[in-house]
Amino acid sequence: MSVDYQQLVQIDRIHSSLLHDPEVFAEEMEEIFVRGWVFVGHESEVKEQGDWVTRQLGNESVIMVRESEESVNVLANRCAHRGTALCWEQRGNSSFFQCTYHNWRFGLDGSVRAIPFPDGYDTSKEEFSLDVAGQVDIHRGFVFANLDGSAGPLADHLGSAGYDLIDRLCDLSPTGEIDLSKGWIAHRVQSNWKLWPESDSDGYHVGFVHASMSDTTDTYYDDVAVGGEAVRSSRAVDHGNGHIELDFRPSYQKQLAWLGVTREQVLSYCDALIERVGSESAEQMLWDGPPHAFLFPNLFLGELVIAIVEPVGPGEMIHRHTSVQFQDVEEKFNQRLLRQTEAAVGPASFITSDDAITAERIQAGVSGTQRSWADRGRGWIDLSRGLDREQVDDMGVRSSDASDETTNRGFWHRYLKTMSGRASA
Amino acid sequence: MTSLELRAEITDFLHCEARLADEFRLDEWEALLTDDFHYWVPAGRIQGEPSEQLAYLNDNRTRVATRVRQLKTGKRLSQLPISPMRRVISNIEIDAEGDGEVSVIANFVIYEIAVQSSGELRVWPGQAQYKLRRVDGTLRMCAKWIELVTAGIGQRNLTFLI
Repeated sequence: MSVDYQQLVQIDRIHSSLLHDPEVFAEEMEEIFVRGWVFVGHESEVKEQGDWVTRQLGNESVIMVRESEESVNVLANRCAHRGTALCWEQRGNSSFFQCTYHNWRFGLDGSVRAIPFPDGYDTSKEEFSLDVAGQVDIHRGFVFANLDGSAGPLADHLGSAGYDLIDRLCDLSPTGEIDLSKGWIAHRVQSNWKLWPESDSDGYHVGFVHASMSDTTDTYYDDVAVGGEAVRSSRAVDHGNGHIELDFRPSYQKQLAWLGVTREQVLSYCDALIERVGSESAEQMLWDGPPHAFLFPNLFLGELVIAIVEPVGPGEMIHRHTSVQFQDVEEKFNQRLLRQTEAAVGPASFITSDDAITAERIQAGVSGTQRSWADRGRGWIDLSRGLDREQVDDMGVRSSDASDETTNRGFWHRYLKTMSGRASA
Repeated sequence: MTSLELRAEITDFLHCEARLADEFRLDEWEALLTDDFHYWVPAGRIQGEPSEQLAYLNDNRTRVATRVRQLKTGKRLSQLPISPMRRVISNIEIDAEGDGEVSVIANFVIYEIAVQSSGELRVWPGQAQYKLRRVDGTLRMCAKWIELVTAGIGQRNLTFLI
């Protein structure tokens, strides 16, 4: 029986079978991760020609490689001959990729360069190039790919909001460019991947799931996401197309709260920012900080942490994160960002470890539900909070109190469009 | 050559530290630490300068105190209830040649049950590198660095004292 997404995703609720059904998972990997745009990595990870990293896009292992100063390619990590994986390490530098089975050799653009004993083939060598991503596009170093090439332009997928969210982060760096080359840390979680776009952008849970952190240490989350005042002043925003944000800007009580420092501690940073963008913009940016947003389907802009949501199986995923590093700041500034990242995100962190447990408990809770229960009223997940008090601006952007499930609904709305085959991007 | 007496004292210390961690006897565990204690679990091998790397865990003394305080709130979801766990320490090598500090390396395996969620058995193999110092006549721990065999492939929740 084919999956009826229209039935399983309603405006104010979703059916929990979507969180564990193997058939649903298989269709997602195709519709979302092969046919749609996904985040792959950042240009700063592959600075020199021949630098490459491996990455998992849904079921597909890919190689992101710098071919030239202008060009970053995304190649299937699979020999065009007999399918052998070409790279095992997480990163490296090569002038070509050579298969270990029959020594076929491929260039950084995926074209075949050498085949041992080529006289056995009638076809031309061009027939034997690696599968390459149909489209690759880059915005401020963020590399996106659409594996099958059918998704239309990246601009249609990101929309102005997607670009703006990335810009708001990068603009905070003194040079306007960030660096993501400190390596990625994998947090392995026994949950469905879709629980993380929701968790990363859910403003309702913070005071409960993270109460142990609030009780333990002074954190700016107390001002922007915990308690009645904070959740009324911060905003849950659905920018459309599944790009969602918890907008903390109205809640910050002082400049640089998002960095946990006083101005005196980072004077040279502030000066450099003023130098580049002018005093008026810089002063506002020091209030606003970086966005807390999720770009459909797999990129979390977690203020000064970037994370990739990697599906592994219906009930297994990886939350893979790295620390944003600014260019042209003092070494201790970037080290502060590393320590801040370690405190907030990852298996041993003070925050997202408790999100992981929560996701695993949801997975445990829903793992027995069946799609066929949907029309009998069993196994539904409620996402109606704040539906009646959302505001819609003239651009169609929906927003509500930070504790409202506007973000969750935004994710699922886009999910439905994609999975029911009606999305243009 | 480390004296048998010192070796016995160090081994006792390590076994005690392991048991306190396994049993979440947090105050007693914290009392073993010096004021400059450094706790580090890198995302790869133990090499290079810790402050320049993104790690699973990189706690100075202040942050490890926060870690312990968080566990003691009774609201730390990822340790509610606490993990039943036991670790085995072996292959202890001692280098007492330094200036008052003793360097120790040991292999360990931790067996943990994730009772907080899935209930699976989690196995944590690795090497621990300790720095010990005598404070007022008693051994104290001034560094514990953990190199996980699995460092490169990612981790499940690591919210106990490793």
